[in-house]
Amino acid sequence: MSSTVDGIVFLALAFATIGGAVMMLATRNVVHAAFWLLEVMLATAGLYMLLSAEFLALVQVLVYAGSVAVLILFTIMLTLRRREDAIRDFEPGWGAGILAVLFGGALLFAVERFSAQMRPGVMPEVVPDVAAFGEKLFTSWAVPFEIASLVLLVALVGAVWWSGGDGQ
Amino acid sequence: MSALAWFIPEYLLLAGAFFALFAELIVRREGVAAAAGALFASLAALSALAIGVRPAAFGGVLELDQVSVTVRVVLATLSAVYLLWLAGRGMAPERSREAAAFVLLATLGGMLMVAARDLMVLFVSIELATMPAYLLMGYRRDDEHTLEGALKYFLLSMTTSLVMLYGFSFLFGIAGSTSFAAIAEAPGAGLLGAFSAVFVFVGLLAKMSAAPFHYWAPDAYAGASPASVAFVSTVPKLAGAAVMVRLAVILVPGVPALPTVFAVASLASMLLGNLAAFPQSDVRRLMAYSGVAHTGYMLLALSAGSAAGNAAAIYYTIAYAAPSMAIMLLAAEEGTAVDDFAGLAARRPAAAWTSVVLLLSLVGVPPMVGMFGKLVLFTAALDAGRLALVLVAVAMSVVSAGYYFRVLRAAFFVGGRAERVPRVLPAAVAVALLTAATLALGVFTGPLVRWLTAAF
Repeated sequence: MSSTVDGIVFLALAFATIGGAVMMLATRNVVHAAFWLLEVMLATAGLYMLLSAEFLALVQVLVYAGSVAVLILFTIMLTLRRREDAIRDFEPGWGAGILAVLFGGALLFAVERFSAQMRPGVMPEVVPDVAAFGEKLFTSWAVPFEIASLVLLVALVGAVWWSGGDGQ
Repeated sequence: MSALAWFIPEYLLLAGAFFALFAELIVRREGVAAAAGALFASLAALSALAIGVRPAAFGGVLELDQVSVTVRVVLATLSAVYLLWLAGRGMAPERSREAAAFVLLATLGGMLMVAARDLMVLFVSIELATMPAYLLMGYRRDDEHTLEGALKYFLLSMTTSLVMLYGFSFLFGIAGSTSFAAIAEAPGAGLLGAFSAVFVFVGLLAKMSAAPFHYWAPDAYAGASPASVAFVSTVPKLAGAAVMVRLAVILVPGVPALPTVFAVASLASMLLGNLAAFPQSDVRRLMAYSGVAHTGYMLLALSAGSAAGNAAAIYYTIAYAAPSMAIMLLAAEEGTAVDDFAGLAARRPAAAWTSVVLLLSLVGVPPMVGMFGKLVLFTAALDAGRLALVLVAVAMSVVSAGYYFRVLRAAFFVGGRAERVPRVLPAAVAVALLTAATLALGVFTGPLVRWLTAAF
């Protein structure tokens, strides 16, 4: 891929990431906010793909775009009793704003200051592919995987219980 | 027998949980789910006993040694007895079938916790054991106090889980593996190793409601229904104690300061728990602080750092769990204030004498199991040279008699209401079983402690 195409794709993904984050904060409807967050996560996965970090991109899609976003949507669905509850007032807080600026500043400073001292990362010749990952997950790590599914089951039954209201 | 069959008790509990969720759609009677759950849990206890000690399975992530077997059997038995009580009395004003499922799933998590030999498995099992506990603590969904207590419990427990996970990540970084065997063999990592061990134990101490991380317990207990407290303050705690012992065995060689950490936490818990229990007028709060104190005794055994101390810590937690659960069940029947026990001897003599046995066992009076628990515990601590702490523990046991006797004084010497709660056979059997265990378990102290010691 030529660097021009790379650059265009990067700009598009960066715009999608930042724009999505801004939209997530700006929207007043929590359901819309959840979907904007999903868009941000997918765009970030695209950025990882651009860096040839296929595994990271896959995990990003599976864990964040898949489970976390679905979890957030489930939580919203199960805890809101009425449609109108989804609309929240926009409450910008100075404290949060200052904290965000400070964090961004510290991050920029750290990158500027220390990136020169770091050795450039070297990509390994052979990157474990998705098949190897799947094999590990369903052989060595099958037990915690299954237990985790039970944890999710408990959470689901519990959410139904707490949001069930008076329909005895 | 293949390794898959060694975990039949876990499958039974899971099947029981699913069955409990739907049982009352088949037989339309309140309590059927809990009764079915009790059946499944007692089958799980029997099968766990029959399966016994087994080597590591599934690539070494689960192993059934003497400690796992004992704790598995006790966990399943306790939850079977608890579900039997629930089948009789229910979770009024809410229905009880979800509670039965949560109890079974929490027990399943506890059983996996004690069998885990890998940080990943351990962490997800701890989550599986505590997640239903949050739900049980907040089971009355229209009561603001309940939800407030449950939310406090949830937030604190989640935060400490993260601290613990942070410690786990360091342990993984040091050893390069999440398996307990590899972590035990990893060279001592100095300050980083100490930090990671302390992070791990801060998480566990908070879940065990040991001082100085106990603040959530009284509020959460006082908000919850006493029937929920009876389960949450005993069964997950036993699994937690076993996990603490297991991790201490792995981590103490690399971090020699760890027994001192346990000793300090033990001292703080014994003093704070016993002294703060005094002014309480609510049985749930009283038992919350007494739970802090008993965790302190357990930590005293752990601070000995010997095989005998580790075995004593587990035995003591078992000896604490049975009477403590029974007292909370009685409080669920009679009322949660100490004053609600007034006149108990006149209206329910059997229940009053039962509470005498249970509370004396918690103080540590012979011949109840609590005395044997304290005996093995103090012996182990003395052998490790912790004379001062043992003296504090003995003094605090005497102090604890003061607040336990307040309940008895109300029951025997204060006149109270005359009308009694209706007789319910399953609930009476459940409390009687726990009382019988409190009376008789002491006989098996020697063999049980030797059997537990063999694991270390």
